[in-house]
Amino acid sequence: MKTLAMDDRLAKNRFDSDDQNPHIIVDREACRTCNHRACTTCCPAERYKWDEENDKLSFDHVGCLECGNCRFVCERLNQGINGYSWNYPLQGAGIIFREG
Amino acid sequence: MSDEKVQVIVIGAGLAGSAAAYRLAKAGVEVIVVDRGSEPGAKNMTGGRLYTHALDKLMPDGWTDAPLEREVTREIMMMMTAEDSMAIDSAFPSSMSQKSYTVLRGKFDAWLAAKAEEAGAMMLPGSTVDGLMIRDGKVCGIKTGEEELEADLVLSAEGVNALVAERAGLIKPVNAKDIAVGLKYVYQFTEEAINHRFNTESGKGTAMLCAGACSKGVSGGAFLYTNKESISVGLVVDTVGWKKSNLPLADIAEEFKQHPAIARYIEGGELIEYSAHLIPEGGLSSLPQLFTDGFLLTGDAAGLVVNRGFTVRGMDYAILSGIAAAETAIEAIEANNYSKIFLKKYEDKLQEVVLKDLKTSKNSHDYIGHTQHMFTTYPELATGLMKNLYSVDGNPSKSVLSIIKESTKGKLPLFSVVKDAMKAVKSL
Repeated sequence: MKTLAMDDRLAKNRFDSDDQNPHIIVDREACRTCNHRACTTCCPAERYKWDEENDKLSFDHVGCLECGNCRFVCERLNQGINGYSWNYPLQGAGIIFREG
Repeated sequence: MSDEKVQVIVIGAGLAGSAAAYRLAKAGVEVIVVDRGSEPGAKNMTGGRLYTHALDKLMPDGWTDAPLEREVTREIMMMMTAEDSMAIDSAFPSSMSQKSYTVLRGKFDAWLAAKAEEAGAMMLPGSTVDGLMIRDGKVCGIKTGEEELEADLVLSAEGVNALVAERAGLIKPVNAKDIAVGLKYVYQFTEEAINHRFNTESGKGTAMLCAGACSKGVSGGAFLYTNKESISVGLVVDTVGWKKSNLPLADIAEEFKQHPAIARYIEGGELIEYSAHLIPEGGLSSLPQLFTDGFLLTGDAAGLVVNRGFTVRGMDYAILSGIAAAETAIEAIEANNYSKIFLKKYEDKLQEVVLKDLKTSKNSHDYIGHTQHMFTTYPELATGLMKNLYSVDGNPSKSVLSIIKESTKGKLPLFSVVKDAMKAVKSL
């Protein structure tokens, strides 16, 4: 079986993304002090990556499958502390499962 | 703007929400269903299979036009190491007494929502609920965007991430240890190709659950379900266990499909969707408060899921809880009483159909999660034993007993096997 990169997987999905307004907010500066970076290993859609060059988190809400796993592996998102919040996209935006 | 009051607002057009709305509308109750998806079903996902006893109960007059995929008549339980596998392949061609069908929620939920609409419910898709209206401790409506919508009763069927109920302080936040994350690929094939690959006829399907190397030793496993013209294949892992493993989930999701025992079924198919969802696996011990003044909680939002390893159920419980909530709502409307004390009837109704099962399996999540051998040693033992049994190399034959001894030697003390087995009998 051919291995599929994440972009190839997500390209099969239908999204109606609100590019300007992320439904998940993280403070990438504050993320530098995180000691586990579990978001980078636990997101099924690989939306969180550690940018080694700039030693900084990179996050893209477009392509999010809205599962919510990051809200459970990241204490900051879970508690919604300053600079962090997790919400569903508004009014029909985001992933549109045709199969589901 | 504040609109006039409706009798019931349902949050979420999934199985619990639409089932409740269907029942309520049939009884002549004014009901509005708000859903955050652009259309009902757009945000919903399953492995998965639906046990249809719940549909019999929801629609006693029949549900023959339901877009179900295939009736499951073949059940495969598999254990795998990195390369080998051993499966127990059971066939029930004349169907089971408890029927189940594979489903795709995009189609199924759209159908169920349309049924509710036909019965008189009003569907309001594309509406993310931002919060609840609460007056003197009683839930009396919802807020979505700029609008406020009042109701005598609000029914939350908002799913596993029950943010609305949680943020209103009606339930305690879900604990990460009670959550599993699932991801799924849907591969398209022709109906004939699936029939051929699974040696079956149209309308009949296969369900396969695998434990072992697929989840890298973390509590969880892989699944495969045949749909009419596609195959759903995916992985479920314990959220906390996976976090501790430090392994990249998105990469392992590709790796497990390469296993020969899985790849042979999906090779050549065209990927048409990649999805992910959480599963509330905490069971009875993590059950939230199911009702309060003016408010009822159903389905995944209430954590009504039972994973016993060999069967995973949630969708049938969602429908049953939707029915129970609707019945309670109808009684509450008749009595004009939406108090917590009155709504306790909901829990009593659930007791009979859902909570009893959660009680029976109250230790199963704990058992599956904390019996590490299940995902590492046992698959190795099982495949190793089989390999030895079937190996013929020209040397003098050994007795079966000595092969068993040889296969298990040094891998596991007999005591812990017996202990796990005893625990299984008590928990599953």
